[in-house]
Amino acid sequence: MDDPVAQLLIRIAAQDRAAFRDIYNATSAKLMGVLLRILNDRALSEDALQEVYTRVWLRAGRFDASKGRGMTWLIAMARNLAIDRIRAQRDVTADEGAVEAMVDRSPNAEGQTIALGEARRVADCFATLEPDRAAAVRSAYLDGQSYQELADHYAVPLNTMRTWLRRSLLRLRECLDK
Amino acid sequence: MTDQSLSPREEDDELAGEYVLGVLDLAERSATEARIKTDASFAALVAAWEDRLSGLNDDYAEVAAPNLMPKIEARLFPVAAKPQRNWLAWLSGAAVAAALVLAVVVVQRPSAPELVATLQAEGQPLVIAASFGDGTLNITRAGGPEAAAGQVYELWLIAGENPPVSLGLIEGDTTSRPLDALPEGAVLAISLEPAGGSTTGQPTGPVLVTGVIERI
Repeated sequence: MDDPVAQLLIRIAAQDRAAFRDIYNATSAKLMGVLLRILNDRALSEDALQEVYTRVWLRAGRFDASKGRGMTWLIAMARNLAIDRIRAQRDVTADEGAVEAMVDRSPNAEGQTIALGEARRVADCFATLEPDRAAAVRSAYLDGQSYQELADHYAVPLNTMRTWLRRSLLRLRECLDK
Repeated sequence: MTDQSLSPREEDDELAGEYVLGVLDLAERSATEARIKTDASFAALVAAWEDRLSGLNDDYAEVAAPNLMPKIEARLFPVAAKPQRNWLAWLSGAAVAAALVLAVVVVQRPSAPELVATLQAEGQPLVIAASFGDGTLNITRAGGPEAAAGQVYELWLIAGENPPVSLGLIEGDTTSRPLDALPEGAVLAISLEPAGGSTTGQPTGPVLVTGVIERI
């Protein structure tokens, strides 16, 4: 199995604390990037990062390597926590410094090679969508924007945005499942 | 509002896609997360969308994180280093539930709590706020439904590698009971048990929510 993160998760499920430290060293920069992009605030992101790894320890037993990659599982957990938190507290203030720090940094080679194949496939499929819809889907996924926020941003009614994204998801599914 | 042409299965898949995309509001997310826990075929649809869209993860830049491992280990493993008093981080971390714990703190005077825990889990509407001080453990159901008829929530203390110890059943919205001590950094958990509670001395039903005991 060519998935070092998955192997660490399997060891963590067996209460291996050394593996727990290793997974933090190997993946915390990526998850910090996820949290900071969605929460847009350093202190909130660091707090969320602690919670994510607490959950990693408590839930590693639920990870199933036959159903997906370890990094995908970790990122889903970080995204879900961050999105739940911004939905729960709408008055998160933007931290400009944090955004700049993030933009300045390019992903390292390691992180890029892991998902290169999938990234190319996603890019090809996104190219089949109309440009503004593709952009709306991307910013929903990457920034954790809600239907309402996207509708406001693109100045379209909420239902229109819903229809846009639902149809885009169907198109993406067709294309990605080929 | 759903497209008329979709079968129930297709509607489920659409919902799974919307959930993974992240566009649902909090109530819809909570309902969806509850379903992921109880409906394996729906959970598989969600996993398929996570996999499909995982190519987008490449767009997340890496940002060096400080070494938070000592704090995380202090939360999870009570014998490790003593946790820092990080009241502000804790507060921002569990804003909603923390507000409720705060409300408990205020109401509880003069026996001010020394330790608190917020028991929650992703996709689980149940939220339990626990506070301990002056030899009294107070438990408040801060969110989610009562246990269904014939079932009951049971509270467990899990300290380090030791097996869970029952701290009793959670009945009604608020429960108080005398307790000698509560170890800081240990974990409180709620399991769903048949009426009357576990008869084995260990949790027999699913563990619904957990929380780490922290000093205020």
